[in-house]
Amino acid sequence: MEYDIVIGLEIHAELSTETKIYCSCQNVFGKEVNTKCCPICAGMPGTLPTLNKKVVEYAVKMGKALNCSINRLSKQDRKNYYYPDLPKGYQISQFDIPLCENGYVLVPMPDGVRKIGVTRIHIEEDAGKLVHNDAFVGSLVDMNRCGVPLIEIVSEPDMRSSAEAKAYLETIKQILSSLGISDCKMEEGSIRCDINVSVKPKGEEKFGTRCEMKNVNSFLGAVHAIDYEAARQIKILSEGGVITQETRRWDDHKGESFLLRSKEDAQDYRYFPEPDLRTIEVTDDLINKVEREAKELPNIRLIRYLEKEGLPFDDASLISENEGKSAFFDACLKIKPTHAKVISNWILSDISKRINETGKDISEIGVTPEFLIDLIERVEKKEISVTAGKEVLLAHFETGKSAGEIIAEKGLSQISNEDELLKIAKEVLDNNLKLIDDYKNGKTNLLGFFVGQCMKASKGKGNPSMLSGILAKLISENY
Amino acid sequence: MELYNKSASELSKMLRAKEVSAVEIADSVYKRIENVDDKVGAYLETNYEKAIKMAKKADEMIAEGKGTVMTGIPVAVKDNICVKGYKATCASKMLENFEPPYNAFVTENLIKAGAVITGKVNMDEFAMGSSTENSALKRTANPHDLSRVPGGSSGGSAAAVAAREAIVSLGSDTGGSIRQPASFCGVVGLKPTYSSVSRYGLVAFASSLDQIGPIGKTVADTAALYSVIAGKDSMDSTSLEANFNLSLASGGSLSGVKIGIPKQYFGDGVSAKVKELVMNAAKTLESAGATLVNVDLPGTDYALSAYYIISCAEASSNLSRYDGVKYGYRAENPKSLEELFVRSRSEGFGDEVKRRIMLGTFVLSSGYYDAYYKKAKLFQQKLKEEFKTAFRSCDMLLTPTSPDVAFRIGEIEDPLKMYASDICTVTVNLAGLPAVSVPVEGTKDNMPVGMQFIGKPFADAEILRVAGIYEDLIGGFKTQVKF
Amino acid sequence: MKIDVDHIAKLSKLSFSGEEKLKMERELSSIIEMVEKLPETNVNLNEADASNIMDLREDIVCPSMPRDELLKNAPEVKAGCIVVPKTVEQ
Repeated sequence: MEYDIVIGLEIHAELSTETKIYCSCQNVFGKEVNTKCCPICAGMPGTLPTLNKKVVEYAVKMGKALNCSINRLSKQDRKNYYYPDLPKGYQISQFDIPLCENGYVLVPMPDGVRKIGVTRIHIEEDAGKLVHNDAFVGSLVDMNRCGVPLIEIVSEPDMRSSAEAKAYLETIKQILSSLGISDCKMEEGSIRCDINVSVKPKGEEKFGTRCEMKNVNSFLGAVHAIDYEAARQIKILSEGGVITQETRRWDDHKGESFLLRSKEDAQDYRYFPEPDLRTIEVTDDLINKVEREAKELPNIRLIRYLEKEGLPFDDASLISENEGKSAFFDACLKIKPTHAKVISNWILSDISKRINETGKDISEIGVTPEFLIDLIERVEKKEISVTAGKEVLLAHFETGKSAGEIIAEKGLSQISNEDELLKIAKEVLDNNLKLIDDYKNGKTNLLGFFVGQCMKASKGKGNPSMLSGILAKLISENY
Repeated sequence: MELYNKSASELSKMLRAKEVSAVEIADSVYKRIENVDDKVGAYLETNYEKAIKMAKKADEMIAEGKGTVMTGIPVAVKDNICVKGYKATCASKMLENFEPPYNAFVTENLIKAGAVITGKVNMDEFAMGSSTENSALKRTANPHDLSRVPGGSSGGSAAAVAAREAIVSLGSDTGGSIRQPASFCGVVGLKPTYSSVSRYGLVAFASSLDQIGPIGKTVADTAALYSVIAGKDSMDSTSLEANFNLSLASGGSLSGVKIGIPKQYFGDGVSAKVKELVMNAAKTLESAGATLVNVDLPGTDYALSAYYIISCAEASSNLSRYDGVKYGYRAENPKSLEELFVRSRSEGFGDEVKRRIMLGTFVLSSGYYDAYYKKAKLFQQKLKEEFKTAFRSCDMLLTPTSPDVAFRIGEIEDPLKMYASDICTVTVNLAGLPAVSVPVEGTKDNMPVGMQFIGKPFADAEILRVAGIYEDLIGGFKTQVKF
Repeated sequence: MKIDVDHIAKLSKLSFSGEEKLKMERELSSIIEMVEKLPETNVNLNEADASNIMDLREDIVCPSMPRDELLKNAPEVKAGCIVVPKTVEQ
């Protein structure tokens, strides 16, 4: 039997605010243990939380980006559980009135755009970290991460494959990054996710029993975890078994998930309204500010590149995910709207190479959209060859001189004079008489070789397409 | 008269007139503590050197003309309020050695005002109780009769002022914990409007109900201390600007003042003698120009239920932090994390605290939230509306503070009976209102009886003003202890 | 009403000996009996109330507390961290 896989994701993203969510300690990763803490972080008796304005702003930004309705009045709740990394014995979160809800996100994939529902986005505090040391029997508590602000983005169970889940995750990451509200450093754990997976016989409407997987902290890990879990469930079902609702822990190293707790052991978090805080108001001013600052998001841009500009998926994806390249690409398009693919080729080849080599942003490597378009036009007009164009760009990076100057200095302008080209062609053919016979006997791809030889002889300046015609004509008529 | 016997207002005048120094006052109070605290047991921690240091600073302030109403006045602080350099035990084995590395907002204000902190005083463990018998660290007696309880949970705060071991004190009130001991000990206690005093640095019992407040021998002293601690604090998101004006808390007349008498507070649960004395006081106010009106607050009868659900629910969560990990009591040699949590908590908390944590956990647990917690919150809303309605026909309410006078130590063992002694006070916390308890004229069994004025939100000054007029009408409170 | 004391104790991270448990069960039952008398009320409870809006804190860093001071009440400290028995993933 064939099965459908149903996937929902809960993404936790750390926000890159200056201070923590409920106190004025610095929100920073990788500092000496327990040095970015105060009595509030440590949950000392008598301490109280004060909510960081920026956290609300960032959550609203994400809510708007994911087309959510914003709850102009919301509240916070306590989620009660015991763990040594949770100093107060409860986490301040949001339960029934999150800041944002009922949204969606468009996720472009090579075979089409998916619309994934976003159930809610709420704000909450991160827990501390437990340090394990093999040389030592206990565990060590570091509270630096206590109170780091998080948003939790909960999706609808709208994904049907691990590839879709990965594309969704990447889209969310790009949006967070583009909004500048999260560092999105997976290796520092600034984005983590819990994955809900269920399977159902193909065509069946009713969802199967779902299992939740915790501790997934890489996109590849998510793919593996989903594939593993779907296979596990399908195996159980196809052997006549029943899926029981449970929480599992994904182990990326082992590539397996393990049972954490079954439904019977489900934790009772005893949520109730946080009495130390009052109502959160999202003011008109804040909404206006967020709307004013809104710009095109990477997923929307990708869809535009695909649908309006007709770029291939890989091109569109590589450009759209980078703010600088996108801005450059769009600026080029503005000058030359008909040349999307050619512009993309230049950006993704020689310009990207330069970016990688220098480690600089596209805006810092010394090439302007005007320069690139000028170069493209010169190539198009056959003033120079593509090969020469690449050389011009390289020289431009080094010297900042204009294309015209470089072409003149280096004598790169293309030879399009038929007499001159005829002379070069004859010379090349005369030196390769044996190969002409092979050519005539069917090895027609030798024409390319002859063109190459001509280019070499002309120091790269010969017009290759003209040469190709001249060579073919010469061989058939004169040799 | 010994300095410790004087009121803050008198001492303040003497200080400003340079008739006495703050050091002399602190010294006098400390001698008194040495002489009588063996009997009373109000203090958990004292520190003469620290007190004298603060007194010296107060004298400097006065010399520089920077004195305030509280400069040089000795204040005892309940042991659930953080004072750097002192422990904050909450009278619990759990926090027996806990020394907070920071000051409460009110502590900072006391320091700024030049007050002299005498030490930390006893209470029911984590402020849960009505007799201070739930202190895991000390037994406190009622200074008027050492065989009786001082009330609670701020029993140490009230006893210290009544026994003249402090001029004024700070307590905290979640369901009557300032007013009831004030009434048992024959002193004045104000539970301010919720949010008018910052809770930052007050060890939480029930966050939505807890409020720090002042206790004094006179209404004026109580008002003076309140004027120093009230005010908005950016560290407490629930705090608001109280706009308390000390000059409005005294003087004026009773003409035009309508005092509501809610019959539910004079029911069968209240001793006949207490009712009689409170009604006599009402008549005294009436004859001085106030108008008495009957008001109806039917929700009162169920307030205890709502109070115990809400306060215990919040407490169960607030007290989760005591898990043996970061501070406080840790069980010896736990074999696992679970054992560390369970044994530290089971060994560190007393019975009443455990009872309330259990009740609170239950009412929040899956399947019971709506039936208990939600229902109680809805009832609280209704109760607030009842008060609002009542205040359309009167300016304030007058009720007994407690159904009876202080009971004997060990007399009440049944927790439910103990809870019932909060019947007159819990509504005020549920509704977030201000209320001040003052001694009435006359006694029952030679013990003080208290009545409380309940005001509209932020009408703290007005109830203090009327309470002060009553104090004047009866020629001052005659509640001197025998030793 | 019968209360599952074991379950509530487990949630509360408390343990009771046999006798304590019976006493707790008895006392809790009588308290629950009292609080159950609470009548139904038909009022609206708006938990995100527009009349109860709080000020939010500006995102400006203040110095943290020196570690020694922060941990001075900790029962056991090693390498600048609080020590607990070995944890297993939750």
